[in-house]
Amino acid sequence: MMIDLALSDDQRMIEDGVRDFLQDRLPVERLREAKNHGGAAERTLWQELSGLGLFGLGSAEQDGGLGLGLAEEALAARALGLVLGSPIALAQLAAPHFATDAALRAALVAGTARAAFANYLGDGLAHLIDGGDAQHVLLLSPEGAMLLPRSALGEAQVAAGMDETVTLARVSAPTDLTSRCTAADRTSLLISAYLTGIAQAVTTMAVDYAKTREQFGQPIGAFQAIKHQCADMASRAAAAEAQCFYTAVGFGNGLDDASEIAAARMLATRAAIDNAKSNIQIHGGMGFTAECDAHLFLKRAHLMTLLGTSRAAERQRLLGLGA
Amino acid sequence: MHLISSPELEQFRAQCRDWLAGNVPRGLRPLEGAALRDYDLAWQRCQYDGGWAGISWPKEYGGRGASVLEQLIWHEEYARAGAPPSASMFVALSHAGPTLIVSGSEAQKQRHLPTILRGEENWCQGFSEPGAGSDLASLKCRATIDGDHLVVNGTKIWTTYAELAVWQELLVRTDPDLPRHKGISWVICDMRSPGIEVRPIKAMSGLTHFAQCFYDDVRIPLTNVVGEINGGWKVAMTTLGFERGTGTIAHQIELAKGVERLIAMARAMPGGCDEAIMADLAVLKSEVMALRSLTVSSVSRGMREVVPGPEGNVVALYFSELSRRVNGFAFELLGASALERDGVHDWSLHYFESFKWGIGGGTNEIRRNAIAERMLGLPKGPSARDMAR
Repeated sequence: MMIDLALSDDQRMIEDGVRDFLQDRLPVERLREAKNHGGAAERTLWQELSGLGLFGLGSAEQDGGLGLGLAEEALAARALGLVLGSPIALAQLAAPHFATDAALRAALVAGTARAAFANYLGDGLAHLIDGGDAQHVLLLSPEGAMLLPRSALGEAQVAAGMDETVTLARVSAPTDLTSRCTAADRTSLLISAYLTGIAQAVTTMAVDYAKTREQFGQPIGAFQAIKHQCADMASRAAAAEAQCFYTAVGFGNGLDDASEIAAARMLATRAAIDNAKSNIQIHGGMGFTAECDAHLFLKRAHLMTLLGTSRAAERQRLLGLGA
Repeated sequence: MHLISSPELEQFRAQCRDWLAGNVPRGLRPLEGAALRDYDLAWQRCQYDGGWAGISWPKEYGGRGASVLEQLIWHEEYARAGAPPSASMFVALSHAGPTLIVSGSEAQKQRHLPTILRGEENWCQGFSEPGAGSDLASLKCRATIDGDHLVVNGTKIWTTYAELAVWQELLVRTDPDLPRHKGISWVICDMRSPGIEVRPIKAMSGLTHFAQCFYDDVRIPLTNVVGEINGGWKVAMTTLGFERGTGTIAHQIELAKGVERLIAMARAMPGGCDEAIMADLAVLKSEVMALRSLTVSSVSRGMREVVPGPEGNVVALYFSELSRRVNGFAFELLGASALERDGVHDWSLHYFESFKWGIGGGTNEIRRNAIAERMLGLPKGPSARDMAR
C-alpha cells in the first residue's frame, strides 16, 4: 500500500476554510476573558460551526455528513488545536461514529444534539469536560469509549481545573466500559491531530517572537541556542503530523491500525508538550507570566494528552502486548 | 492525501521483488578494501544487466528513469530483499553522476555516465578540507592554470573509499582574489594521476573507509572542469541535497528491523519484560514509524516539486538522531555481553558507525540552521549571510 500525503485541492479548501474561520472567530486571545472559557465562545458560534459542516466531515451523506474520511476530520481537529478550541468541538466531531441510532447520528452531525467528553478516572468517577448543556457524553477510558446520554452520569460537581480555560466537573460514571471499538480508535487519532495543532501553533508563536524580540542588538532568533530549539520544535511537529496523517489516510486499509494510532498519539503528545515548554522558554520572563498565552498551550496539551489513555496503555497497543 | 492504488505500481513492485529475489548476492560482503570494491562493482554490473541500474537517472543517460514513487518502491524492495548498500558506488550513483547529468558537457557525460552504470569505474568525493568542514566555501586546495591543464596543490579529507576509487569530484580554488564562493571550480580528477597520495584514516568503529588525500603538482586537463572555471560552487550546490530522503530508505528499514529485533530480545529476557526497557522501546518504535511517515511526506512533495525544498533536512536530522539512539540503546540493552564483538549481531559496529550520520554530508548543527533559516525564516547566520553576497 502506498500513501500520498500531499493535500488535494478539496482538502486544502477544507483546511483553509476551517482554519481561517477559527482563527478569525475563535482566536486564542479570546481565552484571556473568562466569559469565553468552558466552551462558551464555541457554543455562541455553534450554528456557524455546524454550518461549516465541521461535525459531519467524516459522516455518511444520509446522516447529513460530507461523506469524507478520517484524514479530513483530522485536518479539522488540527485546526481546532491551533486555536485551543474547546474539547466539546472535538467530541462533537467524534461522537457521530459512536451512535448506532440513525436519528441520533443525524442530530449529532447537525449539532442539534450536543456531546462533550468525559474522562474516566477510575472507581466510578469521571471528569466531564466543558459539559455545559450537552445531552450526550463521550466517555473515554484506556479500556474503551462509549457514547451515553448525559443522564447516565451523575450530578456535576465543578472542580478547580489545572487548565482554567476549561470547565472540569466530577461526575459518577458507569464502570463497565465496552471494549475498544473503531470509533474509539478514530477519537484517539483526532485527539492526536488536535495535539499536532498545538505543536504547530507554539512553533509559530516561538518563531514569531524570536524574529522580533531583540537582545544584544539583534533578534534572539539569530542566536543558534534559540534557532536550534526552533528547528527541533519544527521537526517534532512535522514528525508527529506526518505519522498522524499517514495513519488517518491508511486507517482501515490493512495497516496495523492499533499500533499506528498509538504511535501517532505518543508522538503528538511529546511534540505538543515539549514544544509548549520550549515556547515558554523562548518567551523568557514573559513566557512565565499568565499574561502571555504560552502557558495556555502547555496546560491544554497536558489535558488533551490525558484523555482516555495512559502511557502504559499506548505502549501496550504500540508493541502489541495484549489488550 | 489519499491511498494510491495503481495496478501499474503494484506490477512494478512485483517486478522489483522477483528480480531482486533471483539476483541479490548471497555471499558475505567484504567489510573493506579492494575485495569490497570488486563486490560492489560486480553487483552494480548485475543490476545494469538486469535493467535496474541508475533507478532515478533519466533514460537518455542509460538510467531507468523511474518516477519518485517507483524509486520509493525500488528502495523498499531493495531493503526488504537484503540487497547490499551502494557503498563504494554511492558517490558515483548519487552525486557525481547526477552532477554530470545536470552540469557536465556532452563529452563528459559520454565518457563517464556509462562506465558508472556498468559498474566499471567508481568515484569518491574531494570537498572537505582540514580547515573547511561546515564552512566548505573556505576551502584552500589550490589549482593554477598551466596551458591546457590545471595544477593542483593542497589536501582533502574525509574522502570515503579514496584508495578504491578511479575518479574524484574535486573542488579547488582557482582564483583566490575573487569572493570566496566565486573562485571555486568543480573538476574531475583521475585518482591514478601522479602526485596524489592517499593516507587512510581509521574510524572509531574500526573500519577504514575514508582517507586524507594530498595533491602535489597534480595535472588535470582543463577539459575535466565541469561547468565554468570559477563556477564550481554553483555546480556543487545544484546537486548538494538533491535528495528526498529516499536514499536513506534502505537504512531506515534496517533500523525498523533492528527495533523489532530488540523488542523480541527484550521480551525473551529472563524474568520477562522490564517496564522501563519496554517504555524506551515503545518510544523508539514510534519514532521509526514517524521517520517512515516523514519520508512518505517528503516523497509526496517530490511528486510535485522540481527542486527539493529545505524539508529534506528534517528527514536527515530525524534519521541521524534516531539511528544513534536505536544503536546506542541496543548496545546498552546487551549489557556486558556487548563488550565482546563478533556476537550474533555486531551491534557495537552499528553503534559506533551510527555517529557518522549526524556529521557527514552536513552536521546536524548545519541541518538545524537550514531548517531554522530556510523553513522558519529566522535571521541568517554567517554561512547564509555570506552566500547572499
